[in-house]
Amino acid sequence: MEKEKLAAEQRASGGRAKKAKNSCQEVRDEEEQVTTAVASDRAQQLQGMAEKLSLEIQGMSNYKQLYSEIQRIVASSAVKKDDFKNTLLEALKREGLETELRNTVFHWMRSQRLDKPKEQANVYGADLSYLKKAQMQWERRIQKSLNSMCNELNIPLARLRSAADRDELAEKWNELSTCDFDLGQYRPLFAPKDFLEVLFSLRDPTFKKQPNELNWEFSHIQIKVKTLAQLRDAYEELSRGEPLLGVNGNVASSLGHCPNLEAERIHLGEKVLKANQAPVAQEFLKRGCPRALRGRLWSLVLGSVVRDADADYYDELKAMVLQYDLMVDKLIIKDVQLTASNDDQYFVFEDLLYKTMLSFSRDSEVLPSVTRDKCAGGQVIHAVLQGKPATLENTLVFPPSGVIPFHGFTMYATPFCYLYDDPCAIYFTFRAFYLRYWFRLHTVSSHEQGIVAVCLCFERLLQCHEPELWAHFRNLHIPPVKVVFKWLMRGFSGHLPPEQLLYLWDLVLAYDSLEIVALLAATILSFRKDNLMQVNTVHNVEAVLADLSSIKVMPLLQLSLLRD
Amino acid sequence: MGDNQTINHFPNHYELTRKDLLVKNIKRYRKDLEREGNPLAERGEGPGKYLHLDFIPVTFVLPADYNMFVEEYRKSPQSTWIMKPCGKSQGAGIFLINKLSKLKKWSREARNPFNPNLTKESYVISRYIDNPLLIGGKKFDLRLYVLITSFRPLKAYLFKLGFCRFCTVKYDTSIQELDNMYVHLTNVSVQKHGEEYNSLHGGKLSVQNLRLYLESTRGKAVTEKLFANISWCIVHSLKAVAPVMANDRHCFECYGYDIIIDNKLKPWLIEVNASPSLTSTTVNDRILKYKLIDNIVSLVLPSDGVPDVRWNKCPSQEAMGNFELLIDEELAYQDERENPTKYKSSHGKWK
Ligand SMILES: Nc1ncnc2c1ncn2[C@@H]1O[C@H](COP(=O)(O)OP(=O)(O)OP(=O)(O)O)[C@@H](O)[C@H]1O
Repeated sequence: MEKEKLAAEQRASGGRAKKAKNSCQEVRDEEEQVTTAVASDRAQQLQGMAEKLSLEIQGMSNYKQLYSEIQRIVASSAVKKDDFKNTLLEALKREGLETELRNTVFHWMRSQRLDKPKEQANVYGADLSYLKKAQMQWERRIQKSLNSMCNELNIPLARLRSAADRDELAEKWNELSTCDFDLGQYRPLFAPKDFLEVLFSLRDPTFKKQPNELNWEFSHIQIKVKTLAQLRDAYEELSRGEPLLGVNGNVASSLGHCPNLEAERIHLGEKVLKANQAPVAQEFLKRGCPRALRGRLWSLVLGSVVRDADADYYDELKAMVLQYDLMVDKLIIKDVQLTASNDDQYFVFEDLLYKTMLSFSRDSEVLPSVTRDKCAGGQVIHAVLQGKPATLENTLVFPPSGVIPFHGFTMYATPFCYLYDDPCAIYFTFRAFYLRYWFRLHTVSSHEQGIVAVCLCFERLLQCHEPELWAHFRNLHIPPVKVVFKWLMRGFSGHLPPEQLLYLWDLVLAYDSLEIVALLAATILSFRKDNLMQVNTVHNVEAVLADLSSIKVMPLLQLSLLRD
Repeated sequence: MGDNQTINHFPNHYELTRKDLLVKNIKRYRKDLEREGNPLAERGEGPGKYLHLDFIPVTFVLPADYNMFVEEYRKSPQSTWIMKPCGKSQGAGIFLINKLSKLKKWSREARNPFNPNLTKESYVISRYIDNPLLIGGKKFDLRLYVLITSFRPLKAYLFKLGFCRFCTVKYDTSIQELDNMYVHLTNVSVQKHGEEYNSLHGGKLSVQNLRLYLESTRGKAVTEKLFANISWCIVHSLKAVAPVMANDRHCFECYGYDIIIDNKLKPWLIEVNASPSLTSTTVNDRILKYKLIDNIVSLVLPSDGVPDVRWNKCPSQEAMGNFELLIDEELAYQDERENPTKYKSSHGKWK
């Protein structure tokens, strides 16, 4: 029975096939394509794919380590010259490197899936370039306010750190809260509400507004988003009504030797970890993750397991913080102070967060991922070190990560403090999560995972399934997105209690999509409909929605996804 | 008092809540169990070490036990001790010592004829837990609420919404910081005066979040063991005082338990407070204390809401709200009589 379950997870991870695009299936296909070079009609195509893959793998962060491991095995006595192929494959398997290779292909596939400008999203064949223009304008605006803040405060964007400063920072690296930063004059460059204004002003230039139509709807933006029926198909495990951890861990287990569902999930989860296969881990997360396994499972799915080289890289980032004094440092510290330090769920992690966020700003590996997105703007600022000639070596991308922080940016990192003790583990899993999902929540783009699509999805869900509530908001002239936007933009971080937030982010990872965030927002409104119908001002609407401490994510989502 | 009256104190609650009396009662309880040959009183390696009943730091009452203290001190002269006046609270009069000479100096000054008040006061001196569990580099203690509706038979309930109180300053065991009370004392009344005190969260983290953090980073088994041990030490502190308590049926009482967890995840009972603070420092604190009072009232009253001494004090599950049953000796006894086999293996565990 238990074997079957695991096999089912594995099958699901490999074989959900055909119907929808399933990355796991693609992985299997790809692997086969790579390993078995068969003479078929597809041979040419396969060859091309294999070449591309082997080329691109060389650019992946774990390539060097993988390569030297394989070298070591090739040179070992386990591999025989006369039966090279078989003995090599045997040895790779034995040493767990085959799994390592499979996982690498999986991560490559996943990155391919999101990087491709999604033809699918733009089914209407509409011209969405106005979104890209809006993003470029927005970037320019941020850069302008950054520059004017520098002028106002009379400080440079970048300079070398003075020796005294550097020493103090190095000494207090683990307790930066004790440093006396003078931040009185600094304020966040922008807040979610500023960004929302940008979104509200998006206009499809070819769209003719009806005379009596309000401005604020996203509906005219021609990005394809899922309907509730399509979400039910995509989130099959939830909509089928299967028992989920996070709903009730005490229900009976279908495995004879497990006293309840929680024990069953732990038992299976440990096996998944042991097998070390990323696609299986991703599949496992769909039915709710036991607390004690979550950190390791997330790292596995995201490929962010910390290796020696990563620890060294993390140290380099620290060295860069010590070397350069960047104007964003103050904004970062200010943001931690304004958010996590004041939050009774995260204040204990204040010092960890300073380190994490400062290091992140220096991480040039972040830059390509956030600028490569073809749907977004991707302009960067270059800063010349103060007092140096403007030569190439004195010029740096500002900040090196390319990400300019805003009010609440820290909240993308805070939940990871509950998962890991090791700052390095926090850093790499946060970074992987951010690069896969969160950066799209503060960028205007036509991407199917972008904030515009998320807002649109929310709006459609509410309009179709809570028409009364929708009309109520309309009568009050309150755009519904306005009251949920801060949830959406932060992926609910800081709004849900940590435990519930982690369940939500399990699902983001498991289904590799942000749609669930939009669905949860719509579900909460629907859940509080009776109270919302009784209030008539933005202020009171916000009061009804202010406290999410009683929200239980898994049951609520399952309820809304269950077929009638 | 009439049959329909109830009161929120036991007459001699100080047996539990005075630092010196608590220690005395626990020491006697251990001796009694040992004399009975109860397996709970089993001793571990080293003199004076109990395997299961070692849940308070080694403590002596001064000046009475001075010689015993010196003997213990000599066994490990490098350890730190904490001095607390028996009759005070909120961190008043507390200091740390790491040398016998400092204690001698203090006692000389205390006997100062110009300061006759000090001589009357008795102190407890306890081994300082110098390896507390740190989160984000900071020391914290737990404040848990325990409601007692009867001491004989013992009926006790634990409030699930306790919290951790964090120091505002990083933990540091160096000698220079020995006198810095912001490092060592977790009392809100002390920390509130620190420069770093934040009035939005008040240095308080919920026990649920502590649990989430520990389970995620340390694992489920060790976390469950820690919380089971916490319940264990509360139950035995209560059993230690039960025989001397005036068990009036009109009474109930809610105590504030202060517990420190060390870095091996062993809980230590530091102190029990009568009348724990019900004022609130933050919004969440207010919500919590509101629930606490509401749940206490619903638990201590029969379902019709009218106090009645004849009521058997067995509240329904709903009436318990956020409280969970720690122990009800009466129910346990009944259950045992009805299902004798069920109790065979675990027999004696709670005795
Ligand atoms: N043995 C010990 N080891 C480590 N820390 C201790 C020890 N005893 C006390 N402390 C610290 O000192 C603080 C004050 O101790 P305690 O609660 O006994 O004193 P109090 O003045 O009665 O405080 P209150 O009545 O306000 O709780 C505790 O919260 C704890 O942080």
